[in-house]
Amino acid sequence: MNKLGFARKEKVQQFMAVTGASEKVAIQTMKTHDWHLEGALEAFYNEGNAKVVQEKNRWELLFNKYKDPKADMIMADGISNLCNDLQVEPQDIVMLVLSWHFQAETICEFSKQEFVGGVQSLEIDSLEKFKKKIPFLRSELKDEDTFREIYNFAFDWAKEKGQKSLALETAIGLWQLFFAEMQWPLVEHWCQFLEDRNMKVISRDVWLQLLEFAKTVDSTLSNYDAEGAWPCLLDEFVEYLIEKGHCAKKSDE
Amino acid sequence: MNQRTTIDLDQGWQFMQRGITKLKNILEGLPEPQFSSEDYMMLYTTIYNMCTQKPPHDYSQQLYDKYRESFEEYITATVLPSLREKHDEFMLRELVKRWSNHKVMVRWLSRFFHYLDRYFIARRSLPGLNEVGLTCFRDLVYQELNGKVRDAVISLIDQEREGEQIDRALLKNVLDIFVEIGMGQMDYYENDFEAAMLKDTAAYYSRKASNWILEDSCPDYMLKAEECLKREKDRVSHYLHSSSETKLLEKVQHELLSVYATQLLEKEHSGCHALLRDDKVEDLSRMYRLFSKIPRGLDPVASIFKQHVTAEGTALVKQAEDAASNKKAEKRDVVGLQEQFQVFVRKVIELHDKYLAYVNNCFQNHTLFHKALKEAFEVFCNKGVAGSSSAELLATFCDNILKKGGSEKLSDEAIEETLEKVVKLLAYISDKDLFAEFYRKKLARRLLFDKSANDEHERSILTKLKQQCGGQFTSKMEGMVTDLTLARENQASFEEYLSNNPAANPGIDLTVTVLTTGFWPSYKSFDLNLPAEMVRCVEVFKEFYQTKTKHRKLTWIYSLGTCNINGKFEPKTIELVVTTYQASALLLFNASDRLSYQEIMTQLNLSDDDVVRLLHSLSCAKYKILIKEPSTKMISPTDVFEFNSKFTDKMRRIKIPLPPVDEKKKVIEDVDKDRRYAIDASIVRIMKSRKVLGYQQLVMECVEQLGRMFKPDVKAIKKRIEDLITRDYLERDKDNPNLFKYLA
Repeated sequence: MNKLGFARKEKVQQFMAVTGASEKVAIQTMKTHDWHLEGALEAFYNEGNAKVVQEKNRWELLFNKYKDPKADMIMADGISNLCNDLQVEPQDIVMLVLSWHFQAETICEFSKQEFVGGVQSLEIDSLEKFKKKIPFLRSELKDEDTFREIYNFAFDWAKEKGQKSLALETAIGLWQLFFAEMQWPLVEHWCQFLEDRNMKVISRDVWLQLLEFAKTVDSTLSNYDAEGAWPCLLDEFVEYLIEKGHCAKKSDE
Repeated sequence: MNQRTTIDLDQGWQFMQRGITKLKNILEGLPEPQFSSEDYMMLYTTIYNMCTQKPPHDYSQQLYDKYRESFEEYITATVLPSLREKHDEFMLRELVKRWSNHKVMVRWLSRFFHYLDRYFIARRSLPGLNEVGLTCFRDLVYQELNGKVRDAVISLIDQEREGEQIDRALLKNVLDIFVEIGMGQMDYYENDFEAAMLKDTAAYYSRKASNWILEDSCPDYMLKAEECLKREKDRVSHYLHSSSETKLLEKVQHELLSVYATQLLEKEHSGCHALLRDDKVEDLSRMYRLFSKIPRGLDPVASIFKQHVTAEGTALVKQAEDAASNKKAEKRDVVGLQEQFQVFVRKVIELHDKYLAYVNNCFQNHTLFHKALKEAFEVFCNKGVAGSSSAELLATFCDNILKKGGSEKLSDEAIEETLEKVVKLLAYISDKDLFAEFYRKKLARRLLFDKSANDEHERSILTKLKQQCGGQFTSKMEGMVTDLTLARENQASFEEYLSNNPAANPGIDLTVTVLTTGFWPSYKSFDLNLPAEMVRCVEVFKEFYQTKTKHRKLTWIYSLGTCNINGKFEPKTIELVVTTYQASALLLFNASDRLSYQEIMTQLNLSDDDVVRLLHSLSCAKYKILIKEPSTKMISPTDVFEFNSKFTDKMRRIKIPLPPVDEKKKVIEDVDKDRRYAIDASIVRIMKSRKVLGYQQLVMECVEQLGRMFKPDVKAIKKRIEDLITRDYLERDKDNPNLFKYLA
C-alpha cells in the first residue's frame, strides 16, 4: 500500500471503510476499475463479493455472540463466556495480551470498535481461528519489549478511570500474573511488603519502575544502589528485605 | 726628536721583574718603600714601549704570557706552601690574607700591564688582565683547597651551633671568596660550599631532633625549634650568602618539624590536644608560627583543633542532657528545665567566644581554623538537647533576653552583644527555618501580650538576622513589629471614634489589635460563642473598621484575647485577669448557678481540649473560682461546676493563667509542610532551567539551593520528585530511569 500515491491510498481506505473488504481486495478492485471509486464499489457489490461480506458479517456475528444485551459492547459476562468458549481461565494472562491487542481501554470490557478491530487485525473470523490464536498470543510474552509494552499498558487499562493511581488489590493481582510469567523471585515479598505497609494505591512511577527493578536488580540485591533514583517505596522495600533477613545488607565497599 | 731606541725583551723584562719583586716584597711585608708615581710611570711606559715597537720587536704576546707566569710563579713558590702548612682556622686566616694580597697584586700588576688590556687583549678577545689574575688563583689555590676550606667552615658552623664562639668575620671573608671566585656566577658558592653545608645542616638537625622528640615535651621542643630557626636566620645574615636563607630554613624546618609533625602534635601529655585543654595560648601561637611554614603543616593542627572543639561542645550537650533528665526525674520542673537550656546556650556562646579568640589570635585568623571552628560547631549545634532542637533552644534563649522579666538581667549593651552572638551561632544551625518559626511564635507572644521589653532590641536583632540570613528570612517578623505599631495607632483612632460617637460605646473598654494574616503564625479561630456583652463590642469595632477600610475581612482570634472582669464574691469583689475563653466560661455563671461539662461545652462551642484546659485553670489550679463536683484534680466530661461565691484572696486583682498549649509539635509540623513546598519549588526552579537532569545532580543542586534555610533530607527530596512526577511536572526518561525531564 505504501507504493501507492496519497490520493490512491485515500481511495483504498474509503473503499475499505465502505465495504469492509481487506486491503488486498480493495487494491485489486480499484486497480481493475482504473481508480474510480464509484465504479469499483459498484463492481464490487454487483459481482456479489459474497465472501467479503460474509467475512464482515462473521466478525459482527462473533461480536454479537458475546455482546451485552443492554449495551453495544462486551461486558464481564460476555468475556466470561468468551473465555469458556476459548477454554481459558478469565484470569489467564493471555486475556491481558488479548486486551492489549484490542487496545482495550477498560478492564473487563470491549467496545464494539475494540473487538471488531481487534479480531480483524488478528485475522480471526471464527471461534476455531480464535482458539488457534491463543498459543501465539501466549508466546508473545516471551519477547522482552512486547512484555514491557503489555506491562505498561496494564496500568492504564486496570486503573479506575479518572484516578491517577492503581488500587493495590488490582496491582497485586496483575503483578502475580506478570511475575509468574517473568519469574521474579521477590514478587511474594513485594506484595507482602505492600500489604504490611498498608498501601492503598500504586503510582504510575512505582508501577513502571518496579519492572525495571525486577529486571535489573538481582534477587540478592547485590547490585542495588541506594543512591540511585529508585522510587522511595522501592528503597523502603529493600530496607524491609534486609530487616526481615531476606537479604544481607550490602557491605560498604 | 731623537728616535726611540728599541728595547729588547730580556732587557725590558729585567726592568719589569724588579718592579714585580718590589711588589711581592711589599705583599710579604718586607721592608720596601712604597711605589712612587714615578716608579709606576716607568713600569707602565716600559710595557707601552715594548708593545708599540715595530715587529719583530712587538712583545705583546710574550708580555701577556709573562704576566700570567708572574702570578703562577708567585703562587707556586710562596702562596701554596704557606697555605699547605696551615690547617683549620689558621689555614682559613691565611687563605683570607692570601686572597686579599692576591687581589692587591692583581690590581697593581694589571696597572703596570694596562696597555695590554687596551689594544692587544681587546683586539684578540683574550681574557682581560684582571680575569687572568683571578683565574690563576682559582685554578691553583682554590681548586686545590676548596674541599679543605669547606670542611673547616662547616666544622666551625657546627661549633657555633653547639654554642661556641667563633670568628664570624673570618667565615664571612672565607665565604666571600667562594662568591668572588665565581666572578658574578654563584656556581662555586652553591656547588662547592652550599650543597655540603645544607647536607650537614640536615644531618645535624636530624640528629638533634631524634633526641629532642624523645626527651622534650611538645612546648619545649617547639621552643627549641623556634630558637634554632632564629639562629639559622641570624647565621645567614652574619656570614652566609643571603640566597642561602630560604634553602637553609627549609632544611631545618623539614628536619625539626615535618619529619616529627605527627609525633610532636600528638604527644600524649603535651601535644596539641593537651595545649588546647590547658589553654596554653602562647604555645599554640608558637605552634601556628612553626607549622604555618611547612607545606600542609597546619592541616593536622586544624584537625586537632576541630576535634577538640567538637569534644568540648559535645560535652556541653551531654552535660545539659544530664541536667535536663535530672530535672525531669525530680519533678516536672518546666522552669528549671528552661533555666538549664538557658545555661546551656550561654555556655555554647562562651565556648564560641573562647575559640573564636583562639582562631583570631593564636591562629592569626587563618581560614583553615575558621573552617575547623565552623565544622565543629555544626556538629554539636545540630544535636539538640533532651528532645528540643537547638533551633528551638536558640529561639527560646532570645525570647528570655527580649521579654519583660526574662531570666536574664542585662544592660542594654550586654543584650546587644548577646544577641549578636546568638545570631552568630545561628549560622551553624542547619534548620534555620525551624528557628524562624519558633522565633516568630515567641515574638508573637511578646508583641501581643505586651511582653516585649524593648522595641529597639526587637528591631536590632531583626537587623542582625537580616544581615546574616537575608531579607526573606525576616520579612514576616518585621511585618509583625510594624503591625503592632499600626495597631496602636488604630486603637487610638478607635478610642477617638468612640468619644465622638457616644451612642456606639459598648460600655466596656475594648482594645483590638489588627494584624496582617500572612505575617503572623496561624492561630485556630474557633467560633467561640461570645457572651452578649462581648458580641456588642465586636459589632462596634466592625462598624468602626468599616469606616476606615472597605473590603477587608476581620477574623477574630479569641484564643489570644484577655479580659479584666469583676468577680463579685461574697467576701469582696476581686478583679480577675483572664483570657477571653475563661471570661466567656465564667460569664455563663451569671445566668445559671450550676453547669455541667457538657452544657459548658455546647454553650461555648469549643473543643474538648480547650474546655478541659480552661475549666482546669478555673477549678483545679491555684484559684478555685469554680467548684467542681466531684472534687478531683482532673476534668472529666461528667463533672458539674458551680460558681464559688465564697472565694477570696488577699489581693484585689488576680491573674488566672491559662497554660498555653504546647505548640512545639505544631511548629515542627508547619515547618515540615513549608519544607515540602520549598523543595517542590526548588526542584521545579532547577528543572525549569535545566529541562533534563540526572537524579544525583538534581538532588545536589536542590540541597545547595535550600542549604541557606535548612538541610533537606535526600529521601524527602526523592519523595517530592515522585510527587512531581505524579502531578505531571516531571517525567522519567524512557530509557534511563535516573534522568528526569521537565514537562512544561
